[in-house]
Amino acid sequence: MILLVWAFTFFGSDIQKIDTVGLQEIEVISPAYERFGQGQKSIKWSQKDLEAYQSRSLADLLADQSPVFIRSYGPGMLASPSFRGSSAGHTAVFWNGIPLNSPSLGQSDFSLLPVFAIDQASLQFGSSGALLGNEAIGGSVNLKSQAGFQDKSSLLLSQEFSSFGNYQTNVKGRISGKKLALQSKIYHQFAANKYPFRNLALPGTPIQEQDHAQVIQKGIVTDLNWRISDNKSLKTSIWLHQAEREIQPPMGSSTQDFQEDQALRWSMNYEVFKKKSTLAFQSGLVREELIFNGIENNTSQFILGGAWDYFPTEQLSFHSGARITLVKGDLSTYAATDERLEIFQSAKYSPTNRLSLSLNLRQLGYGDQLVPLIPGAGLDWTFLEQKNQSLELKISAGRGFKVPTLNDRFWSPGGNPELLPENSWNVESGLHWKKNSFSQSLTFYSMNVDNWIIWLPQGSFWSPQNIRKVRSDGVEYQGSMKFKTGAVDWISQWQYSLNRAVSLVGISQNDPSLGKQIPYTPRHQAGLSLQAQVQRFSIQAQTNYTGERKITADNPRTLSPFFLADLGISYTGFSISKIQIPLQVRIQNLLNTQYQVIYLRPMPGRSIHFTISFQL
Amino acid sequence: MKTKLLQLGQVFVSLLILFSCIGNDPERPLGEYDRGILIMNEGSFGSNDGEVYHLNPSTNELKPDIFEAANGRPFAGLLEDMVNEDDKMYLIANTGKVEIVNPGDFKSLGAVTSGLDQPRSLTVNSGKLFISDYGPYDANFNTPSSYIAVVRNTLGGTVSKKIAVSRKPEDLISFGKFILVAGSEEGKVEVIEAEKEELVKSIEVEGNPSQFFEIDGKIYLFSSKADKVVIYSFHLDNFTLATSNWYPIANATGKIALSNSNTLYILTSSGWPNYEDGIGVLPLFGTSLQPKWYEGSGFYGIGIDSSKEEIYVANANGFQGNGTITVLDKSGNTVRTFDVGRGPSGFMMK
Repeated sequence: MILLVWAFTFFGSDIQKIDTVGLQEIEVISPAYERFGQGQKSIKWSQKDLEAYQSRSLADLLADQSPVFIRSYGPGMLASPSFRGSSAGHTAVFWNGIPLNSPSLGQSDFSLLPVFAIDQASLQFGSSGALLGNEAIGGSVNLKSQAGFQDKSSLLLSQEFSSFGNYQTNVKGRISGKKLALQSKIYHQFAANKYPFRNLALPGTPIQEQDHAQVIQKGIVTDLNWRISDNKSLKTSIWLHQAEREIQPPMGSSTQDFQEDQALRWSMNYEVFKKKSTLAFQSGLVREELIFNGIENNTSQFILGGAWDYFPTEQLSFHSGARITLVKGDLSTYAATDERLEIFQSAKYSPTNRLSLSLNLRQLGYGDQLVPLIPGAGLDWTFLEQKNQSLELKISAGRGFKVPTLNDRFWSPGGNPELLPENSWNVESGLHWKKNSFSQSLTFYSMNVDNWIIWLPQGSFWSPQNIRKVRSDGVEYQGSMKFKTGAVDWISQWQYSLNRAVSLVGISQNDPSLGKQIPYTPRHQAGLSLQAQVQRFSIQAQTNYTGERKITADNPRTLSPFFLADLGISYTGFSISKIQIPLQVRIQNLLNTQYQVIYLRPMPGRSIHFTISFQL
Repeated sequence: MKTKLLQLGQVFVSLLILFSCIGNDPERPLGEYDRGILIMNEGSFGSNDGEVYHLNPSTNELKPDIFEAANGRPFAGLLEDMVNEDDKMYLIANTGKVEIVNPGDFKSLGAVTSGLDQPRSLTVNSGKLFISDYGPYDANFNTPSSYIAVVRNTLGGTVSKKIAVSRKPEDLISFGKFILVAGSEEGKVEVIEAEKEELVKSIEVEGNPSQFFEIDGKIYLFSSKADKVVIYSFHLDNFTLATSNWYPIANATGKIALSNSNTLYILTSSGWPNYEDGIGVLPLFGTSLQPKWYEGSGFYGIGIDSSKEEIYVANANGFQGNGTITVLDKSGNTVRTFDVGRGPSGFMMK
């Protein structure tokens, strides 16, 4: 018995009108951002899609398979996302619906989010403040871990050995009954990162071995899925993560910084299904401890919310709710609390199967401040639908916002309590064409971000101010194709993005950066992947191109474009008794490209990774 | 003998004559960068993108990143100071190294790339390099282990000795076989005997001493307190204070420029909450003190082209991108502005 079947039976034909996803059978109702996010570009990875990245971080996944530019300071070092030229803090990150961004820093380090810990990932592009709330300016990342109801229990042990003294161990166990499913994952990564690089800071630019970039990450994720009764379910997950990192200095520096990160994340979702509605309650807790060179900073967020979904007719659906967030920061220079209350409302009207319109609204207050009403609207229209092909038009417009972080407001010295929220407007339009197993999409977007907060030196310290205004325009093209030649099954995916992100307002009228591409934002990015499978043998190739980036908007120095190629070969035909033993060899940076994503932060050259797994 | 970026070319010549310990090579042909104005761009913290620009004031031709252009590799550091001594140009990066280049073409001659923590400035004496260094930070971001690093080769190499001094040493100046060190945090001038590599004397001063300069064979020290600045001079036979003159110029940042008419131009900043920056003018041997000769914001460096009587003011533009140089005439009128590298913080007029 699976929950999907149960739900289908319970709702009868009505359930067909509720958007469902087929990736995991446990899903009954898809998240609101999928059901009401008409007109917005999104990318989704299923559990199977993520299998090739089980020993890698979310930063690697996004860098390889999305137009999101990852500003990486080195392997295992800080890796922050940039959607469409926005900053790292303009990306909302959720795990099981719980926001993960640090309330003090306002962003997440994607190198500390192992893909192994999650079961699904999706990206929503553009400003979605009405649907997703705080920080969804450039885009948002939604991660999910959950125990699915399966036919049998399973156990997986996976061990990877890599170049540069790196290895990773993953263990995953899952038991499932009719009413209860439990999944637990344990991971341990040790990365010595002793890779050679050319030290440009020294006379003669000698080849040296990286000697201060060791990373140890370990964690455990446990997911419980309980079908309490025919119309009630409870999902709860807990994620403990710890990282110890030697902070790799830029070339020319010999700093020996050390950082420890610890996180406790807990989520709980309780859902009640009725004939034409669902009621969902959500709670969560995120406690983080960051110790940098012995200096400790602690933050915590507690979330409590509820949402009601109502489907009065086959054409109409509504989503309403409220959420309270209690934030506490106990940092090295200050202690502060913050309370946030938000209410939201979404509506979708689908007069035909080929047309859907949505309207979303959100109102948020924090402290004694009220963020102006956040609207968003979108349209999906399949204006051409034939036997084997369809052409869909997507149009959306929406607003985003970001509440100033605790550091922005309270850091001592320099914190500025008078800061206004950053805000954005985003419009986009896309065409999606599908023909059999061939699909392409083309998205145009334009986004204005105002009141962009930047920290400026003020005498002996720095202080944040609402100063910058940025305009970002661009085009994103994606395609995929599946085909067969003889006994070989082929899958190919490709993408290209063009982004123009410039400052319209800077620190002064004569700011030399005005009108120029903002730093560390490539105008051009492209990727191509190809996978061939013959029975239990498969080979995967992944290539990426990243265009030049300016270190500052107006500096003559630029970072060169780089082209990376990865190659993976896997075989799943080995087994001993009931134990399957998949093998994989992966070569990253096959061409041994010497490159920097961030100025003077060398990235590793060619590396070989061998993975053996035991699956029961 | 030294020329720091905040001093004049004329000072360099006089110091060369009066305090030289090692003779220059008169045969070296003049290079492109032996004339004109060198602009020091500190770079941004964490980026190590410090560099030197060269301006030809006759043609206004500006050449960016002259270290990288000459050596095919970036400077890769935060450029704290430039010192022209012993016919060599020393580029001091507070990220832990000293690059030594030919002053004429900026081709690399050597470097000190290990054994330093946060070097600030340098002087050459007795065939050795003496490098002021804050030392490492402790857990509370204090620097209790400041020192003067000794390198026994003017073309760089390894640090052979560290002479402990008071916290946060800044400028150094040579006099004969002795070196004076401005101890900025504890208000001291410390005297080092170069050959013995030993601290031989410590002189208490008020404020935060930051810069030495020389006029007519006498060594002066600029020090500042919240509401005033003080100019000290020394008896150089026994290293005692000779004179101390106080002037009511508030909020001096420690960055100064000296004209050939012996007038000091002093950068000031009000700090929190208004951040009003300015330039105070102090005639060292006159009376027409102007505490607010010029006002603005974002000032990060100052220099004087005495040949044209023009004042160069560097604006770091919040380190968000390139900095801007504003050239003023002696009346404070803007002559021209132009963009330079990130965090422009000083000039060397040659």
